[in-house]
Amino acid sequence: MTDEILRTENLVKNFGDLEVLKGISATIRRGEVVSVIGPSGGGKSTFLRCLNLLETPTSGRVYFEGQDITRQKAKICAYRRRIGMVFQNFNVFPNMTVLENITLAPVLEKKTPREQARQEAMALLERVGLAEKADEYPRKLSGGQKQRLSIVRALAMRPEMMLFDEPTSALDPEMVKEVLSVIGDLARNGMTIVIVTHEMAFAREVSDRVLFICDGVIKESGSPEAIFNCPHHPSTIRFLSMVL
Amino acid sequence: MDKILKLWMKYHAVFLSGLYGTLWISAVTILLGTALGVLIALMRMGRIKPVRILAEAYIELLRGTPILLQLYFFWIGLPKVFPALELTDTQCIVTALAVNASAYISEIIRAGINAVDQGQWEAARSIGLSDIHVMTRVIFPQAVKNILPALGNELISTIKGTSLASVFFVGELMTSYKSVQSATFLALQSLTIVGVIYFLLNFTLSRLLGLLERRLTVSD
Ligand SMILES: Nc1ncnc2c1ncn2[C@@H]1O[C@H](COP(=O)(O)OP(=O)(O)O)[C@@H](O)[C@H]1O
Ligand SMILES: [Mg+2]
Repeated sequence: MTDEILRTENLVKNFGDLEVLKGISATIRRGEVVSVIGPSGGGKSTFLRCLNLLETPTSGRVYFEGQDITRQKAKICAYRRRIGMVFQNFNVFPNMTVLENITLAPVLEKKTPREQARQEAMALLERVGLAEKADEYPRKLSGGQKQRLSIVRALAMRPEMMLFDEPTSALDPEMVKEVLSVIGDLARNGMTIVIVTHEMAFAREVSDRVLFICDGVIKESGSPEAIFNCPHHPSTIRFLSMVL
Repeated sequence: MDKILKLWMKYHAVFLSGLYGTLWISAVTILLGTALGVLIALMRMGRIKPVRILAEAYIELLRGTPILLQLYFFWIGLPKVFPALELTDTQCIVTALAVNASAYISEIIRAGINAVDQGQWEAARSIGLSDIHVMTRVIFPQAVKNILPALGNELISTIKGTSLASVFFVGELMTSYKSVQSATFLALQSLTIVGVIYFLLNFTLSRLLGLLERRLTVSD
């Protein structure tokens, strides 16, 4: 397929004796929004973290734009700059201001001139409604604001793709919407996204495709309509009956 | 009490120069010990297994033997290994103290770094920071908050530890006790003076540390 951006081939990940991923092959196309759903402990986070090599796969391959990035000599840092990631626990840098959180990587690793990085960061903050917080430290922000910050911190590197690992799971209910709306905007603007989420309504609305991961394998995948309206695999049916 | 005052009037210059010795020896010990401790901590946390084992052995050896033994070892050993350097007793003893402190300091640094949330490493890596920048820009600045107070405690125990240098008649506070005692035979009185100086020094330091610690936690 010509518009493929990322592909995994028989991805396996063991932690000691525990086989967490048991051979996952998936292809993500440019501009596609893929939701990953499934029961807790099924390997969703591990799968996502293998995509930007926060975890080293035990075996199997990850290809980004046709390049095998799991081979020994691949430049992992350079590769990670092209893929943004947002975590459940925000992981904003508490020792820097909001603005510094965002400009850090562009200035250090892309050699973006400081002033240009600042302007771009301000534009991003404007976009997510955080411009007036630019000089605050993250401890002054609410959970929802921290998560919006972590999203623009990733976007500042102008990634070609974004990974989200349960971006709203640690948020109070009233803050979920503000974060989902930022992610929804990204999706509509053509960003390639893989998102692990328990927000089924959101997954249904924004996804082009849904992967159901359970016990370390993709048990079922398809359009949101197919997965949510007529799931085939018994474990998908069981899971959806519990969460919907 | 009267005797103590008189002793102080007569010999305060000796005690003060002893205090000066203790201060600079402690300061140099902590500075060298920290530099060496950072290196050992990095080796200990690194990816190369033999290097890791070497660092662990270094730490265990220094923590598992008496410091006085280490002082003797360096005092006798260093001049033999490096005769060309013509090391003085003081230089040998300061080296030994610094090496000893480095074992404890490397563990302080390692614990401080390990206490930083794992998520910070992941976030820093995920935006594509190089290993060096992950450490210097994200992890270490946060670890410093854990490290500084413990390093202060290490300074206090180093100050007390330098008293062992008196065994080798290296100029410091405990040695000044020995000098005054042998000149006057007033052992208890000179010991009291030296004890008061040690106490005031360490008490002040630990109060300052308390302040620093509160400062650091407030900014969280
Ligand atoms: N670093 C790790 N070390 C050991 N086990 C891990 C580690 N990370 C995840 N696991 C285990 O792998 C399994 C899958 O975890 P995870 O990928 O986080 O699942 P999910 O995100 O679907 O809830 C769980 O049993 C978890 O305990
Ligand atoms: Mg998870």
